[in-house]
Amino acid sequence: MKIPADLSYSKTHEWVRIEGETAIIGITDYAQDALGDIVFINLPEVDDTLEAGDSFGDVESVKAVSDVMSPVAGTVSAINEELIDSPELMNSDPYGAWIIKLEGITVPDDLLDAAAYEAFCAESE
Amino acid sequence: MAELKRTPLYEAHVAAGATMVDFGGWEMPVQYPTGIVAEHLFTRSSCSLFDVSHMGRFFVEGPERVAFLQHVLTSNVEALELGMAQYGIISDAQGFAIDDAYLYRFEEEKLLLVVNAANTQKDWDHLLPISKQFDCTLTNVSDEYAAIAVQGPLSRELLTELAGGVQLTEPMKNAVALVELEGHPTGIAKTGYTGEPLGYEVYIAAKDVVWLWNRLIEMGAKPAGLGARDTLRLEACLPLYGHELGNDPSGAPIPICAMPLSRFAVSLAPQKGDFIGREPLTAQREAYKKLMDRDFSALDVLPRCIKPIALIDRGVIRAGMEVYRGDECIGWVTSGTMVPYYKSSGEGLETVISSDDAKRSIGFAYIASDVLEDDFVEVDVRGKRLKAVIVPCHLRSDAPPYARPIIYGTELAPRASLHETRLANAIELMGRACENHVWRQQQCVNLIPSENTPSPAVRALCAADPSGRYAEHRKAKAFYDKDVFYYQGTDFINEVEQLLVDEMRTYFGCTEVETRVISGQMSNMAVFSSLLDWKNRVDRKSAPRRLGYVLNNHIIKGGHLSAQPMGALRDFIATDPATERPAVVNFPVCADNEYKIDVEATKQIIERYRPELIIFGKSMVLHKEPVAAIRAFVDEAGIPTTIMYDMAHVLGILGPSFQNPFEEGAEIVTGSTHKTFFGPQRGVIATNWKEEDLKYGLWETIETRTFPGSVSNHHLGTQLGLLMAAYEMNAFRKEYQSAVCANARSFARACKDAGLDVAGDESIGFTETHQVIVRVGYGAGAEVARRLENNNIIVNYQATPDEEGFTASGALRMGVSEMTRFGFGKAEFERLAELMAACILENKNVAAEVSELRSGYTQMHYCFEGAEFDAALKKLLQTIGL
Repeated sequence: MKIPADLSYSKTHEWVRIEGETAIIGITDYAQDALGDIVFINLPEVDDTLEAGDSFGDVESVKAVSDVMSPVAGTVSAINEELIDSPELMNSDPYGAWIIKLEGITVPDDLLDAAAYEAFCAESE
Repeated sequence: MAELKRTPLYEAHVAAGATMVDFGGWEMPVQYPTGIVAEHLFTRSSCSLFDVSHMGRFFVEGPERVAFLQHVLTSNVEALELGMAQYGIISDAQGFAIDDAYLYRFEEEKLLLVVNAANTQKDWDHLLPISKQFDCTLTNVSDEYAAIAVQGPLSRELLTELAGGVQLTEPMKNAVALVELEGHPTGIAKTGYTGEPLGYEVYIAAKDVVWLWNRLIEMGAKPAGLGARDTLRLEACLPLYGHELGNDPSGAPIPICAMPLSRFAVSLAPQKGDFIGREPLTAQREAYKKLMDRDFSALDVLPRCIKPIALIDRGVIRAGMEVYRGDECIGWVTSGTMVPYYKSSGEGLETVISSDDAKRSIGFAYIASDVLEDDFVEVDVRGKRLKAVIVPCHLRSDAPPYARPIIYGTELAPRASLHETRLANAIELMGRACENHVWRQQQCVNLIPSENTPSPAVRALCAADPSGRYAEHRKAKAFYDKDVFYYQGTDFINEVEQLLVDEMRTYFGCTEVETRVISGQMSNMAVFSSLLDWKNRVDRKSAPRRLGYVLNNHIIKGGHLSAQPMGALRDFIATDPATERPAVVNFPVCADNEYKIDVEATKQIIERYRPELIIFGKSMVLHKEPVAAIRAFVDEAGIPTTIMYDMAHVLGILGPSFQNPFEEGAEIVTGSTHKTFFGPQRGVIATNWKEEDLKYGLWETIETRTFPGSVSNHHLGTQLGLLMAAYEMNAFRKEYQSAVCANARSFARACKDAGLDVAGDESIGFTETHQVIVRVGYGAGAEVARRLENNNIIVNYQATPDEEGFTASGALRMGVSEMTRFGFGKAEFERLAELMAACILENKNVAAEVSELRSGYTQMHYCFEGAEFDAALKKLLQTIGL
């Protein structure tokens, strides 16, 4: 299971890449593996404002639906529209298939680094 | 919590990297590493293996095994023949499902009942005490046997290879057989839970199942888990206990008749006696009948029904979500997910399934019974109302070898209109008719065995004045059976008809002929109608009793529609109350030659069913029918019956080259006049009773069931043409018939020598008729037939006796009569066989060579010639303005 060292993670299995005032968010390899084949995603609208921990969309696999939470607060500046037609990209390339970009972010202090997230996943097994 | 049970394949699943889950107390694979979507698609395109060893398996034995099963299942177990399986519901006393089950009759003495894994103990506890009331034993053999579902278009090929090339089961759904797979005894059933038209469930000793699993994977099958099993069954609209059967999301039980498939599994036949659930199920059936008439006045028994639902908005529907009509909640989704499918292009037989896939959101909904197909509803998807539509189905399994997704909103391409004005269209029409005529008459080799080209004289007469006239007539007892005509101007056509009857009597060698029927199928319908009338002649005050039993050739063994309950027999055949099916039984065929009737086995069938009508004849025909042997048998056994021979295909070779049914003891012969015979397209009925015979009354009924029973206008133009054709046939019969039969054998031999796979008995030259059957590979028939057409060779694709139906056709059916008439002999058919082989086997373009071959044979043979005849024909053509 891949856990890139340069990203931050939430305990609800989202990854976040922070670049100054901007955050890019997706779901982790662990999450996609647990969900199985992802067949649908509901995306938020650009300009939606989110608090850390808010659900901003849902990801549906053949088996079940699961909410996706934002690990940081901010305003949605972009959504990855490619996922609407090809949600399976989240399975095949979870760290390339970003879901949303946020601007004007506030980063909480409970985000995990790669090592901590790996330990957290190991515990959940 | 009790420890989870494992099937003998557990280690194989784990080794393959499966995700294992608790399923009804069993540790089962939900998916393998490729995932549910890939497993679903692989099943649709290739072949998947499902471990179904966890399901409960009970043997039911003993003298009252059928009586017991009739009591506890909703299906009609008495109708389950050896070698077949049937779906049934285990109902409780209130008409709700305890479980659904499949019942297999692999053996005469022992029935196998298969139930859901999670319900096995519940079912056992329910069934065992009841079984004690019957003289039968119920044995739980779940541990001794295991089972694998082998599903998908390649399943037939893989299992056939393991069986050493022998036929697995009869081609129809639910057929079962005991088959050895590389030395391992198995029971194979053509059943499954995926909607695949080619799919089998293989029952095998628990100790052998790992071998079978690994062997099939080695051959190219892939394992699929419970996840794909669920998406596949949902797409196929098959119910799952706990969703469409059992309790609804509110916890209330779902009536069995609320689910379309379960309704079919309910029989109220008298033979079922007072089975468990009879009374409430009768009420449910009555309520359902009202719904079918859109009578929604009494919805208390079936307030809701289960219907397939497709989501129109983007999203996914899931079990338990509420369904709305406006503000009213009308029920719930019982199953729902996103399922993948392969996209396709083209239409009809030319549909090409691509390797691109897409997904759609579908499900089942348990909703108000007054919701109709195509109605829009809304589903509450986590607080959002999404638009959905009620659809008839999500998938069709009736065009094997593939299951075909039915996507809501798909429209066929509209037909393009040609021109602005009808005048322009009319001119275009004539031009195109010319092109078609030249192509079919001068450039094509026509090998459709049911077709022929009438001679120029026949065609000219068909267009003469009688083509626009009426000549209704019937015999009047008051005038000693002299025919009375209703219209004037009919003396000529009256004489023509008398002459035609005389010619046809001579041809058949029989006493009576009816020529007014205008097709072969109508001939049969008139005969069936007459037999029904004859049967009821002594009691005209009661509702007429229908015919039954009738013995005929099964459609898949070459029988024609015109003698089937789905065709001409439909309105005349009785329903057997014991089986609740049409009272038809089929000729058994020889194990080593499925094109031939097995006479000894037929005698047993006749003794058992004592058919009142025996119908010989078929449309895929290589052999004589055993008329004489069966006549001798029924006479000796004293079985009253009527023997009829539908000679539609072989009418033109009636005689010493083939067979003469009347000489062999047939009583009625029907036929069409345009296949091997020389005529325009009409029908004919012949009988051989004399006036003093009891059944002469049946002949008189045939006359009245023809007119006024079947026709008012009997198409006088073609009747006039048929008289010329009958003159031709009686004049050239001997040479033509021996040429046709010799050409068929030459052609079959040449096809074989050219490397084609010719069906039939090689020791007799493959065929005794005008037909030649060539196998081109399972499912390839339609494509090869189209390719031959592109090369100017016209044949029809044909399902052989072990194939499922027309889309699975693996053969070509050809006849030599038309080309024989155009002068083809041995050398020409040999050349044709070479060209066909090049086209079929090497995909060579032979269009020019075929046209070249045909161009030398455009003059009609076996018809009149000479200066005097030619002058008369010329005069006729001038007179009628052609």
